[in-house]
Amino acid sequence: MLIENASLGPAAPIAAQATTADARDVLRHAQPGPRRFAPGLFFALLSAISAVALLACSAWLIARAAEQPQLAYLSAAVVGVRAFALGRAAFRYVDRLASHDAAFRQLAELRVAVFQRLIPLAPAGLARTKRGDLLSRLVSDVDALQDLPLRVVQPLLVSGVIAVLSVAGVWIVLPQAALTLLVCLVVAFAAGTLLHAAIAARAERRLAPGRGALMQQLLDFIGSLDVLLAFGAVDERLQELNRTDAALRRDGVRASLGAGLAASAMTFAAGIATLLAILVGAPVLEGPQLAIVALVPLAVFEVCGMVPLAVGAWRQVRTSAERVARIAPAAVPSGIPVEPASGDQTAVAPAAESDAPRPEAPAIVLNGLSARWPDLGGRDPSLAPGVALEGISLTVAPGERVLVRGESGAGKTTLANVLVRFLDYEGGFTLGGREAKAMAPGELRRTIGLCEQNPWIFDSSLRQNLLFAREHATDAELTAMLERVGLGEWAGSRGGLDAELGERGALVSGGQAQRIALARALLADFPVLVVDEPTANVDAAQADALMRDILSATSSADAGAARSVILISHDAVPAELVDRELVLSAGRLVSTGGL
Amino acid sequence: MRGFLALGGLLGLIQTASIIGFAWFVSVLVTGAIAGQSLAELSGSFAALAAMVLLRAFTVWAMDAASAAGAARVKSQLRVAVLAGIRKLGPSWTQRRGSAATATLVGPGLDALDGYFGKYLPQLILTAIATPLLVLAIFLNDWLSALIVALALPIIPLFMVLIGMATQAVQRKQWDSLQHLSGSFLDVVGGLATLKIFGRERRQLARIRTVTDSYRTETMKVLRLSFLSGFVLELAGSLSVALIAVTIGLRLLDGQLTLAVGLFVLILAPEVFLPVRNVGAQFHAAADGMAASAEVFEVLELADAIPADAAAAAAAPAQARGPLRLDGVSVHRGDRLIVDGLSAEFEPGTLSVLAGQSGSGKSTVLAALLGFVPSAGEITLGDGPLTRTEIAWAGQNPALGSGSVAGNIALGSALAEGTPERVRLIEASMRLAAASGIDPEHELGVNGAGLSGGQAQRVALARAFYRWQELGTPVLLLDEPSSALDAETEARLLGSLRAAADAGAIVIVVSHREAVLAAADRVLWLETVHVD
Repeated sequence: MLIENASLGPAAPIAAQATTADARDVLRHAQPGPRRFAPGLFFALLSAISAVALLACSAWLIARAAEQPQLAYLSAAVVGVRAFALGRAAFRYVDRLASHDAAFRQLAELRVAVFQRLIPLAPAGLARTKRGDLLSRLVSDVDALQDLPLRVVQPLLVSGVIAVLSVAGVWIVLPQAALTLLVCLVVAFAAGTLLHAAIAARAERRLAPGRGALMQQLLDFIGSLDVLLAFGAVDERLQELNRTDAALRRDGVRASLGAGLAASAMTFAAGIATLLAILVGAPVLEGPQLAIVALVPLAVFEVCGMVPLAVGAWRQVRTSAERVARIAPAAVPSGIPVEPASGDQTAVAPAAESDAPRPEAPAIVLNGLSARWPDLGGRDPSLAPGVALEGISLTVAPGERVLVRGESGAGKTTLANVLVRFLDYEGGFTLGGREAKAMAPGELRRTIGLCEQNPWIFDSSLRQNLLFAREHATDAELTAMLERVGLGEWAGSRGGLDAELGERGALVSGGQAQRIALARALLADFPVLVVDEPTANVDAAQADALMRDILSATSSADAGAARSVILISHDAVPAELVDRELVLSAGRLVSTGGL
Repeated sequence: MRGFLALGGLLGLIQTASIIGFAWFVSVLVTGAIAGQSLAELSGSFAALAAMVLLRAFTVWAMDAASAAGAARVKSQLRVAVLAGIRKLGPSWTQRRGSAATATLVGPGLDALDGYFGKYLPQLILTAIATPLLVLAIFLNDWLSALIVALALPIIPLFMVLIGMATQAVQRKQWDSLQHLSGSFLDVVGGLATLKIFGRERRQLARIRTVTDSYRTETMKVLRLSFLSGFVLELAGSLSVALIAVTIGLRLLDGQLTLAVGLFVLILAPEVFLPVRNVGAQFHAAADGMAASAEVFEVLELADAIPADAAAAAAAPAQARGPLRLDGVSVHRGDRLIVDGLSAEFEPGTLSVLAGQSGSGKSTVLAALLGFVPSAGEITLGDGPLTRTEIAWAGQNPALGSGSVAGNIALGSALAEGTPERVRLIEASMRLAAASGIDPEHELGVNGAGLSGGQAQRVALARAFYRWQELGTPVLLLDEPSSALDAETEARLLGSLRAAADAGAIVIVVSHREAVLAAADRVLWLETVHVD
């Protein structure tokens, strides 16, 4: 039984077998290539160089002017000061535009790469959650990976290059001063990151699970407030929530203390670098040179102050990459049928694209079939594998309409997933004599279609939500189909095919979503149609009417041979609507009687 | 809050002093060295400089620590207050507002206050204290440089506001399309299984690319303007430093100024602009926190308007039993009249069914009995008003929480975990709810994840039976208890309800199922209220 009413705490572990190699691969996709990355980096460097040069040039200008030379000796420095001031701001602006543009361009690559990983996994290889919480977190994690080039790689590279250039520049003036600057930079980087790690790392690691736990308790508390009130359990829960919040508060403060120490270490090192530069420079340097070595460290440390922030951003990016790799592993877990690697998509276009009448439904024969869900490895209850099937033998003749009935937890949805090859099987499963395993899953799905228990409604118009099932359908065909599935009046009241259905079908009730899914399946004209628990999310009072409409719509006369229907439900249906009823219990077929 | 501002102000003051001192001693040391003083002669100034460096590093850390602690405290206070407010507002309010949205506001929403209190506010304090003091320090040494800074400073907020207004107009225009574009990837990922059924999954790869690309184009249009404010900030800062450097240089050339003053002013000038720049940088983080706290305060205001919940404080269930009476009960939801003057009497020992079209207000009647919605008219049990402690209830939504099945069933129980009495009651309740097949030790995720719809419904029923047995509640309310059950399980459940009625309970079931109607002692049909 597919578990549908699940939603995850934000920090639920997804799978144990996530490999760091997988996460590294995700990170590779998040980082723009050199050609795309270079312009932003180039301008960022120019801006940082201008910032250091502005201060160095100003210091030299003032110290030299104090020696009261001819004005001509200063004019180059005057021009330099103005140019560097302009350059610092202008280059920074160009850098931000270029690097954001590159990051957004890379986002397209990253999304495509992650989507490609998800394709073979969905739906059986992904944790089963009703509201797609897991997937929305995956999507925000993917978006968060944009920070890798913007807030990690670029600041680190710029800081590194500026540190090296400044040390080299100071070396020309006075090698001893260069050495003190180098030592201060290295100590600051090390102290900043190490202090931070020592104090905050453990607290920081506890933060994400802590926030997850808090969110989980909040969802439980607010979602079940009526029950908690009715059962007098509110105070107990509030106390528990406050305890979780207090623990989270302690960890949060500790983590910020670490970040504050890193920033403070940077400030300290910057000051000490200036002090040491004066100390080693004072006995040996002329005025202008001394001013340069004294003031340059201030500008260098201002640029390099980004390092602790970049290190912090890196920790977040890495966590996001690990989560993405865990949810969407590169290797498909066993138990999920693998699509052949051929990229030949034209071969998989649904039958509905041709105008030929629907071919005759093949006989479907299951012979001693067994199936189980892949173990996704988490300890989260919502990831518990669904019910396994054992020794299922069943024949559905062409055009036959079979009801598979069973209690919750009998394995009905497992059967639906096997029939459309979302889930692998052992034993025999043939269509018109052809073994299903010998066909590409995509090819099989041209013959066997599915009306899902929770059909996805795309955030688009009613027309777009139907058209992808049959691309060249005319508006008249679509309207006729809406009429056929009992949505004619509703669609009319909403403004017809242009009606927007809202984010995740927010403007559509459970029964309407089922009818839209049915309309899609009929448009795609599958010779065999599996309908999985159409009334599961439907108001009890409307369930009967929906069931009746579904069965009459799938059988109403249209072009082509009779369609086979396998209806899966926990409810009985009126006898005249189906040819045969089977009962599934605990993963086994217990009766195969006729009606 | 006031304490935090005072501490922040004090730290800001010390930090400003250390910045001025640092600039002063650097210029003293450099000019001293140029004048030919030996290191020994300068040792006092070196020591003072080191002290300034230490002091500044310390205040940076202390400011961070104080603001992090302050942010955490304010956040916790708000969280506790808003949870108490939500409790008062009750389930009908959370359902209207959406539980996920409310949980997001109380959880991650309030976390955004870290950005406001932890980062934005300290910089704002620093701006208020450091900026005028630094300008004053410059003014006392060189009025011309102070004038340049004083002229450049107001340009920054002015341009930021102008650019902010310009971008806001653009953003408003593009907001919808941006929202739509950014949500589109989630839409495709969520619908992947559906796309696979129709063989359309590969085709989405090209679409993801084009949609993400138009997202980039649209966002860059906004960013080109947004980044302008950063540009103005940097430009005002660096140009005035350049201007100061050049004017100082020219005046040094004429001998109008000493090198010590020149260096001092040059080091201070960039520091004047630093806090303002940081305020700008933290502004967006702060805006999120502000938005969340504004929402939280709205909730708190709403909750304050509601009188304290007296019924919840009532003591143990009334021992005196009698009939449950509804006398002219009416319920409004918003402007709509849902229940219009309902009068009915339910005797102990009877099994009654409330039936009617969907929308006829069956569940609303139960919500009124439970006190979840305000109602007019009188609801009494025996001699007194009906209270929640006298009701065992199972709603349409199982509303299970994380924890074990047994823990869910014994929700609100006074019996300690593991006591034989509790174990016995759990077992008996599961039997009554036809849920014996479910492992009581089975651990559930958030919102009861890990059970199928039918299993969850039976656990919720067992929870109601547990309360009925433990407290001996006179009233048992069940809303569509068999909607996810097959006929056989339904029959077993109806047997349990009959047994409960025979034991003297007032059993009221909302249902439209034939089998339930047939088992009832009496059926009340509710008509949808039509308003002319």
